[in-house]
Amino acid sequence: MQVLINNVNTFVSTGGRKADKDAPCLLFIHGSGQTHLTWLLQARFFANRGWSVLAPDLPGHGLSKGEALSSIEDMADWCHDLIIVAGHHKVTVIGHSQGGLVALELARRHPNVVAGIGLIALATAIPVNPQLITMAEDTEPAAFDAMVTWGHGRDGAFHDHPMPGNSHLHMGTRIMASNPKGVLATDLKACAAYTEGETAAASITQPAMIILARDDRMTPWKQGQGLAKAIAHANLVTIENAGHMLPVERGDDVNKALRHLFEQTGA
Amino acid sequence: MSKSFGFDTLGLHAGFTPDDRHGSRAVPIHQTTSYMFHDTEHAAALYNLEVGGHLYTRISNPTIGVLENRMAALDEGVAAVAVATGMSAVFLSVLALCSQGDHIVASSQMYGGNINLLEHTMSRFGVTTSFVDPTDHDAIAAAIQPNTKMVFGEVIGNPGLDVMDISAVAEIAHAAGVPLVIDATLNTPYLMKPLKHGANIVIHSLTKWIGGHGVAMGGIIVDGGNFDWGQNDRFPTLTQPHFAFQEVNLWEEFGPAAFSMRVRSEGMYNIGPTLSPMNAFHILQGLETLGMRMERHMANTNALLEFLKNHDGVAWVNHPSLADHPCHDIAMRQMPKGAGSIITMGIKGGRKASQAFIEKVELASHLANVGDARTLVIHPGSTTHSHISADAMKAAGLTDDLIRISVGLEDINDIKADFDRAIKIAQKIDQQKHATKGA
Ligand SMILES: Cc1ncc(COP(=O)(O)O)c(C=O)c1O
Repeated sequence: MQVLINNVNTFVSTGGRKADKDAPCLLFIHGSGQTHLTWLLQARFFANRGWSVLAPDLPGHGLSKGEALSSIEDMADWCHDLIIVAGHHKVTVIGHSQGGLVALELARRHPNVVAGIGLIALATAIPVNPQLITMAEDTEPAAFDAMVTWGHGRDGAFHDHPMPGNSHLHMGTRIMASNPKGVLATDLKACAAYTEGETAAASITQPAMIILARDDRMTPWKQGQGLAKAIAHANLVTIENAGHMLPVERGDDVNKALRHLFEQTGA
Repeated sequence: MSKSFGFDTLGLHAGFTPDDRHGSRAVPIHQTTSYMFHDTEHAAALYNLEVGGHLYTRISNPTIGVLENRMAALDEGVAAVAVATGMSAVFLSVLALCSQGDHIVASSQMYGGNINLLEHTMSRFGVTTSFVDPTDHDAIAAAIQPNTKMVFGEVIGNPGLDVMDISAVAEIAHAAGVPLVIDATLNTPYLMKPLKHGANIVIHSLTKWIGGHGVAMGGIIVDGGNFDWGQNDRFPTLTQPHFAFQEVNLWEEFGPAAFSMRVRSEGMYNIGPTLSPMNAFHILQGLETLGMRMERHMANTNALLEFLKNHDGVAWVNHPSLADHPCHDIAMRQMPKGAGSIITMGIKGGRKASQAFIEKVELASHLANVGDARTLVIHPGSTTHSHISADAMKAAGLTDDLIRISVGLEDINDIKADFDRAIKIAQKIDQQKHATKGA
């Protein structure tokens, strides 16, 4: 659906279902240089099972207009605005990578709207390699290529996608290339500058689920352990033989873990 | 893990992971029509295209899926859908975008089947086509109308061997908000990947070089994922709610893979030109050696061209790699590894001599195919293009003495010897005829 947020036309996937204000709401937030298509295997799956799904394209991304936001804090406030505009009071928020930082910050700044939190392929900080930021600024297609190839595990390298006939690598590249020029660099800088992850994680009292990939080369599994420590009560699921793009690489496993979270939040 | 694999590695490995239970290294033939659901929820999820997996072989199959993923990898597309034949690949591509009252701009110099489908079959359903010279860019631009849904052509026209400048034509199509759909059968992803030059959808007859051994029919549609279907309101099949899935708008929910999802969710569901798993297996065997075979096809083509150019009995030879071919420059720029292994020629003495040549070859096979491992010859004027009007023949660059050669993988000296013999016999027959006439 199209909604106006701060007067900007914004696209929010509702998983191919009419948004239902009365159903428990799931807010899915994508990562750096991505779009709502990160949630290819989640948005429709949960929308068709009774949840009200909101999977937006952040400002300046995908089908949304406007300028990309330059800080994780601004993105968190923007998500809060989206929740209000969509007519919900509480959501279970699920974030992938940078979207996970946004989810943490949303919970820190607006704890009352967060019923539960799902964090996928994340650590308490994403200290982006400065070379990658330079690459994103100067030779964006090379940065897409690097992120897409590093972002997938074995299945990506072998083009072995769960959806028959699809290729992770080429799909990943096209999704990143569909964003306006410069968006990736803005996102990566926002990730690198965010230092509140540890504090935000410690503030979480809601049910929490952390889903990590054993072969993640973007936010390594080892660093994800720190996040699990910081949210002591969180459930931790590790998925084997998968990389950073867990939601598309291992849709079934991710959905199973998320369902466990939704049972806890009563969502 | 390697950053991204090379062409031959992908040809051997892409799209397949041996399973834990059996460890079969070759791609198994999943000769089954249907697949066990885990439970009713899993069944529903498969029907709604929410999860990966297979439900019924008309829609998808694990063996066919490997072929699809492998071709998407090789052509650098976001997704691929394999079908029963090259013709059904063309038809499902048209079906995915065009409805009654819509229009196509197509090359006048295409495989006869492609021309017939658009001119005689689609027109009965209200989809009309303007045929234009693929090298006349102004004519292409001028032919695009508000109801045009695609520009369609072949990289190397069969059998005229004109070469389309893909990036230039893509630019023209895109400026008008229309995708470029390319039949890339004669080049294969080894010689050229049209998606990298700006084409949006690529079609192959897998029956030809990709299968490569003349044993199995097949076709494939590779979705480039590089066209913005939402930029205008020309493409309601992709940007309006899909008839089968509540409110699902394929462009919003599948993004770059919207087109291939339409092909699968309508073309395969409602028409169903399914590739057989056995044929997918045969084609995969071919695909595994595509790079090596194409190298040999091109080496033999180049050597045979040299031989024919210098042969006394040959009236003319045509191939885009020859300096006097009108598309020589673009062919070399687009396809530095070679412009395909089809050669056309005429034998001195005209139509009769050319027909005699075809009847006298012994190693080369006279049949209606291209891209076999074996060398093939045919006279299109009396076969593949015999249903086409004289005007269309001329537009397709066909003269009545034209012989089409699909150069195979035999030892080149044997091909040359076979051709030399047959050309000489054809000459003799021609001379005898003249002598008799003169007497
Ligand atoms: C260029 C081209 N396109 C399409 C086709 C049709 O393919 P198939 O015979 O697999 O249906 C052919 C077959 O001759 C062809 O040469």
